[in-house]
Amino acid sequence: MDRRTFIKLTAITGTSATLASCGVPEHQIIRFVPDEELVPGVAEWKPSVCPLCSAGCGLNVRVMMADVDVTKDGQSGVVRKGVAKKLEGFPTHPISQGGLCARGQAAIQITYHPDRIVQPLKRTGGRTSGTFEPITWDQAIGEVVGKLDALAGADNTKALAILTGGRRSHRRLLFDQFAARFGAPAPIVYELFSDDLLRRANQLSFGAAQLPTFDLANANYVLAFGADFLGTWNAPVAQAAAFGQMRRGRVGVRGALVQVEARMTPTGATADEWVAAKPGTEGVLALGLAHVIMRDKLHPTDSGRAGALIDGWSAGLPDYNPDRVASITGVAARRVERLAHDFAQREPSVAIVGGVPLAHTNGLFTALAVNALNELVGAVSRKGGLSFTPQLVHAPAAARSSLAQFAAGVVPQVLVVDDVNPVFGAPRAMKVREALVKVPFIVAFGHVVDETNVLADLILPDHTFLESWVDALPESGSAQAVVSVAAPAMKPLFDTRATGDVLLQVASKLQKPIDLGATTYDAYVKAALAPLGDEAWSTAQKQAGWWGDLPKGAAAPSTGADAKPSPVTFVDPSFNGEAGEYPLQFLPYPSAAFYDGSLAHLPWLQELPDPMTSAMWSSWVELNPKTAERLGIGLGDVVEVTSMNGAVKAPAFLNPALSPDIVAMPVGQGHTNFTRYASGRGVNPIDILAPVTHEDTGTLAWAATRVKVARVSEPDGRLIMFSARGELRENPHEGETR
Amino acid sequence: MRYVTVLSCIVLSIAGAGCSWLDDRPAPYTSAPFTAQAHSGSPRLTTARDTLGAAVNDFFWVKSTPKQPIEFPHNTHVEKGLACTEYCHEAVTKGPQAGLPSVNTCLICHAAIATDRPRIQQITQMSEKGIDLSWQRVYGFAPAAHVRFNHAPHIRANVECATCHGDIAHQTVAQRNVDHNMGFCVTCHREKHAPNDCLTCHY
Amino acid sequence: MAHRWGMAVDLDRCTGCEACVTACRAENNIPTVGDLQASRGRAIHWIRVERYFEGEFPDVKVNYRPVMCQQCDAAPCEPVCPTYASHHNDEGLNAQVYNRCIGTRYCANACPYNVRFFDFFNPVWEKPMHLQLNPDVSLREVGVMEKCTFCVQRIAAGKDAAAADKREVKDGDIKPACVQGCPSKALVFGDLNDPESEVSRLAESPRGTKLLEDLGTAPKVTYLQGVEHA
Repeated sequence: MDRRTFIKLTAITGTSATLASCGVPEHQIIRFVPDEELVPGVAEWKPSVCPLCSAGCGLNVRVMMADVDVTKDGQSGVVRKGVAKKLEGFPTHPISQGGLCARGQAAIQITYHPDRIVQPLKRTGGRTSGTFEPITWDQAIGEVVGKLDALAGADNTKALAILTGGRRSHRRLLFDQFAARFGAPAPIVYELFSDDLLRRANQLSFGAAQLPTFDLANANYVLAFGADFLGTWNAPVAQAAAFGQMRRGRVGVRGALVQVEARMTPTGATADEWVAAKPGTEGVLALGLAHVIMRDKLHPTDSGRAGALIDGWSAGLPDYNPDRVASITGVAARRVERLAHDFAQREPSVAIVGGVPLAHTNGLFTALAVNALNELVGAVSRKGGLSFTPQLVHAPAAARSSLAQFAAGVVPQVLVVDDVNPVFGAPRAMKVREALVKVPFIVAFGHVVDETNVLADLILPDHTFLESWVDALPESGSAQAVVSVAAPAMKPLFDTRATGDVLLQVASKLQKPIDLGATTYDAYVKAALAPLGDEAWSTAQKQAGWWGDLPKGAAAPSTGADAKPSPVTFVDPSFNGEAGEYPLQFLPYPSAAFYDGSLAHLPWLQELPDPMTSAMWSSWVELNPKTAERLGIGLGDVVEVTSMNGAVKAPAFLNPALSPDIVAMPVGQGHTNFTRYASGRGVNPIDILAPVTHEDTGTLAWAATRVKVARVSEPDGRLIMFSARGELRENPHEGETR
Repeated sequence: MRYVTVLSCIVLSIAGAGCSWLDDRPAPYTSAPFTAQAHSGSPRLTTARDTLGAAVNDFFWVKSTPKQPIEFPHNTHVEKGLACTEYCHEAVTKGPQAGLPSVNTCLICHAAIATDRPRIQQITQMSEKGIDLSWQRVYGFAPAAHVRFNHAPHIRANVECATCHGDIAHQTVAQRNVDHNMGFCVTCHREKHAPNDCLTCHY
Repeated sequence: MAHRWGMAVDLDRCTGCEACVTACRAENNIPTVGDLQASRGRAIHWIRVERYFEGEFPDVKVNYRPVMCQQCDAAPCEPVCPTYASHHNDEGLNAQVYNRCIGTRYCANACPYNVRFFDFFNPVWEKPMHLQLNPDVSLREVGVMEKCTFCVQRIAAGKDAAAADKREVKDGDIKPACVQGCPSKALVFGDLNDPESEVSRLAESPRGTKLLEDLGTAPKVTYLQGVEHA
């Protein structure tokens, strides 16, 4: 044996001996018998439905075998299980059409979130203590049933309040029905970026309280008023698919997009022309176009019902001549004339309104004005225009109160919270948290602890959409009727239960049981789809949903016209805060990554560079470079934004595509209690909003707050930008922190 | 000789340190607030190797001898006419992995056959308790090898199981008969005019 | 004939939504580095969407451009690698062989597109997030470079599926994750050696340009420019 071999041998025996005592050898790991067998290493694709927004995209889930850590009867080990690996759009689904937005792709992380609630929790300390102990499902359900029975026994069923999010699905209908049958008021629905005002306008103009579907694929000229329809508004995936078709899907025809808004959204960035009308005056511009179109007889002037809602319409809108429009909107008169001619003559054309313009106090006027413009050029129910997706019939809910009314109203005895986080997502001044703290008993459904359910007495952990039956009732995005529905794509990872099933179980266990027609959620959905015919249920499960022409009797009737309102006319948007003291308009906008903030707990989205700023893991305040210069603010400087309702501090980003009168902030960060990834990160612009609501719908006018901005300090390094890596840039200094 | 002793000591202490890192691994599902520190301070040595000891072992091509949960006699089953790709490793024709049978697979036959043998009684008991066989891998690539091997195309090309796995048909418990190093793969790929680009296997 | 994989990006369709960025992350086991490391410029995105401002308010124009590895035919990253970790394969892919990589980072310095990323630390997936990892893609350890592979695992799977059916790979069979996920179908992938493929057709488009073409890198990604508005 030579020296070299000896050294080698010594080393081998040495390390091997040492390592023998190390760690857990694989043969000591307990492996449980799997209850499903998939071919290892081969992907199986299963349909599902994206739960993140109301669009209701059909998903295709890539499922593969993996070793999953489990505990059975107190014994920990592993078991082979089919687990979701990737989400894609279901290829033939009419809403997703094979594609999927960035948020939808990241939805898989909801299932695998390390901070998921893995069993029912019961609060141990005081209302705001945030301390919980695990309990069994039997205990949890028993407790809920007990509280509800007590209400029913005291003949006080009206003291049950239900608070839900805005996503349209059978789950919401189930809550509606439960409330009605129990004798409680209709559930309160809260969405920060609610489209209820547009639904209201569409009911007035077109007799359909619904968001429209745009046939962009066949349009030649699209005029969008503030609607970020390719990014966050309505059904962005379906709209982007149609948009791609509009731009480059037809031989020899390329549709044009003109975007009217005061802060450029990603949709505005994609547009051929960007028109920076003064915020809150978009409706005036729409009527300016209508004036020119009628004056120059560019189109037969029959705009029926929608036009009749506008003051002065039949007289040709004399108050909206280009010069006056120019003085109100800041858009030059000649440009108004040109836009009008383009809009009328590059048929088929369609106008879209949504987002910021409707978040001003005069939002209803703006929506009605754009509706009238659409009707003027015949865009309604036309190829390349707008239409309303036929809806499956269901029982209408009773009138709901708004969140603001709830917060200011009588304190309920029992509160049920599902899929909504108003403590984060409503202005502080609305005092939702204060109202919740007063409620004697709160039960919340959810996946992780957030700012609202941490106040609950019971948190009942829900399966995620991949682990349970999931459905959606798309109101828009497809010319045909669509019901998205899918079976679980994988088995649950933890001791969680589907909220629909839990609610049905609670209903059946009450002293006076409520019969909701099913004992499980899938049976409930199946029953609801019965009017679609015998094949619908099995068809739907193969392709993430059912779509087609609704059979007779299955279609919801048109809601029809209600009392004819008096014609509307333009009034300046009003703001909370004197222009003298608070010179800038405050614009919190839905962020591309987090939408309304409900997705800030997903690390993929935290690290997704924002499309405008390339910021990751950050909050920021957007200022026009001129405004910033005037205030002595540079990129990354910490600034304080103050409204009458509070102040937030965040680093500044200089955005040339933003009106100098506006301060904009993305919504999403600023969570105080929302998993390890979002808690304590950045600031929440909703906090400083004024609780100004629309008269007609009770929804929040989230663009009606004025603020002042002041520089606080040098950059503190909290604005993290991907582009600071120094990739290709026109301006080599862009993205650098001073 | 002193040199050798010193070297051995160094190696031993490093390996020992590797062991203690492993023990410091944080408990799963801690709800400590997320910080970048938690990300940068990985408790593992590399993605592939938890400890330096494991790395040293890999470097010197030292592999542990797998200790199987039961002494499965491959020869008996093959003699009885069972093909490798029937039941036990049936995934081999479908995709990347051949698959290791769960106790359910054993009981397809052994619910009725040879139920008096102690090993069969052992697996029947396991099955009743819901415990599966935790087979240990005999072959396979370390993560750091970055090899994405796919069985199915090799079966389609009529490569015999024995070419890569040796004469398991005449063995009881599977043993590592063939060293799956890169030379072994590349030689065969050359002979058969199969692609030999890095990206064929490494990605 | 051998394949020659290429991509076309129709900037007129791209909406800057970054679905491609998340799709790539999900497919390719790209680690999330966290705020501190991101602030040090260590965030990894094999594909990114670049944004360019032009002009001043109110006459502002923004352009988006998704940028991934351009899979250059004359790739500057390849000759500088001392270990041949960065190499060119028969199908025109710029391969990054992790086994060979010793982390000199010369390739990242040489790349004019800034699409190569160094692993400064071992990635961590907090349990149970590890269950999402794609078993068809390697986990890269500390000290190696990584970059867009045109989803080579999907190329391999596509070729394997075709071979199992005893047929040739058809145009559209293989879609990298970014191409698959794009809602507006702005990204097209295919075989540039197949004159009938959509990507070949688009590569010939008069709207087609290559990124930093004058550097002589011969990229295989074609950018189709949007038209200037009236």
